[in-house]
Amino acid sequence: MATVRIELPSLLSTLLSGQEQFDLSAGTLAEALAAIRADHPTLAVHVFDESGELRQHVLCFHNDVNTRWLNPHDIVLTDGDTLRFYQAVSGG
Amino acid sequence: MGVVVFVGTAKGAFTLRSEDRRSWDISGPLFPGWKITTSDRSADGTFFVGTSSYVYGAAIHRSDNMVDFQQIEAGPKYSDGGDRTLNQIWKLDCSSSTFYAGVDEAGLFRSTDGGSQWKPVDGLNDHPTRAKWFPGNGGLCAHSLLVEPARERLHCGISAVGVFRSDDAGETWQTRNDGVRVIIEDQDHKDIGFCVHALAQDPDAPDHIWRQEHTGMFRSRDGGDTWQAIEDGLPSTFGFPIVRDHSSRNLYSFPLDKDEYRMPADGHFAVYRSTDDGDSWEPRGSGLPQRFYAGVLRGAMDTDHDGGVYVGSTAGTVHTSHDHGESWQTVEAILPRILTVDVYQD
Repeated sequence: MATVRIELPSLLSTLLSGQEQFDLSAGTLAEALAAIRADHPTLAVHVFDESGELRQHVLCFHNDVNTRWLNPHDIVLTDGDTLRFYQAVSGG
Repeated sequence: MGVVVFVGTAKGAFTLRSEDRRSWDISGPLFPGWKITTSDRSADGTFFVGTSSYVYGAAIHRSDNMVDFQQIEAGPKYSDGGDRTLNQIWKLDCSSSTFYAGVDEAGLFRSTDGGSQWKPVDGLNDHPTRAKWFPGNGGLCAHSLLVEPARERLHCGISAVGVFRSDDAGETWQTRNDGVRVIIEDQDHKDIGFCVHALAQDPDAPDHIWRQEHTGMFRSRDGGDTWQAIEDGLPSTFGFPIVRDHSSRNLYSFPLDKDEYRMPADGHFAVYRSTDDGDSWEPRGSGLPQRFYAGVLRGAMDTDHDGGVYVGSTAGTVHTSHDHGESWQTVEAILPRILTVDVYQD
């Protein structure tokens, strides 16, 4: 298990009383996402859709790497890593 | 009389407070960046607000003071792995012991524990006509609710589908669109394809219901069993809001120059009033802006049942009247596009 930092955009931080980041323990990205579902249900409803996947316009970066096309079970986390969530909206 | 006007916009909510209904203290934005689509207050004084985002989906929040809000964990949610998505909370009704939420993708949810746990109303959400529902310009949305706990009756309006009624507290539902001009006829289900925009009801005579439809203004005097057009004096039949002021018994609407334009005719921003249950309509009041080509959405008009009428525009302006619409003032602020205006006694 690693302690990783979760960083949120301001729109989501308002749901956590302005808290823009928090730490959680997980060994892989899949475990980290599962921990968000289990421990932060009010955040999870905005990050995941009804299929259980990240919403279409939500991106999750592991440090500087976009994880969209990667298998979350294959992404091993180490102490001090950061998972940043972004909204991906383009087109004006 | 102290009044709080809760204004939900495309980018957050604002509260307007006044003791004299002439000068206003404006605070906000609450939930900056979020669409604020509906609000209501329950009998114990708790406020509930619906929020949504194109990116992050929808949720309900509650507050004891309209300042500090907490998101409800077990809010409305379609089943995981299903083919329906919850995109927006269109209408909250917390007026009785059972709370209701009309949502997009069209459906109804209810809470029997003060808003903590919300469950789907399957009788409507899985109605036999459901496979033929499809979205209109505003989405596939259940946006209008009339709740009558005394006789376990509910009405729910869904854009591009029509009005449904339940006489058994939501277990079963029947369409109620007889007499309304159809907009897109379904091949199989002739009782859907009606585009209701808003509903209003007389609480003293609940069989009296008014309906601003895409295709006109209608009234029912038999609880929605039949509908008749009531458009004498209206400059056009298209519009979104219909509001009933319970103390004066006035009706208010905001006609727009047909569905292709969706603007006030000739830039004449006008609230229309009926004092005879909709038999006739006339534009009322001085002080509303002219050469003003913004509209008023279905949730953006309300009254305080003491002569006050409140209107929010898609241009972000708020217009208030304290004399049944005879004279109007414009609040000195330009907000984002206004989606809902809800008036509460302070």
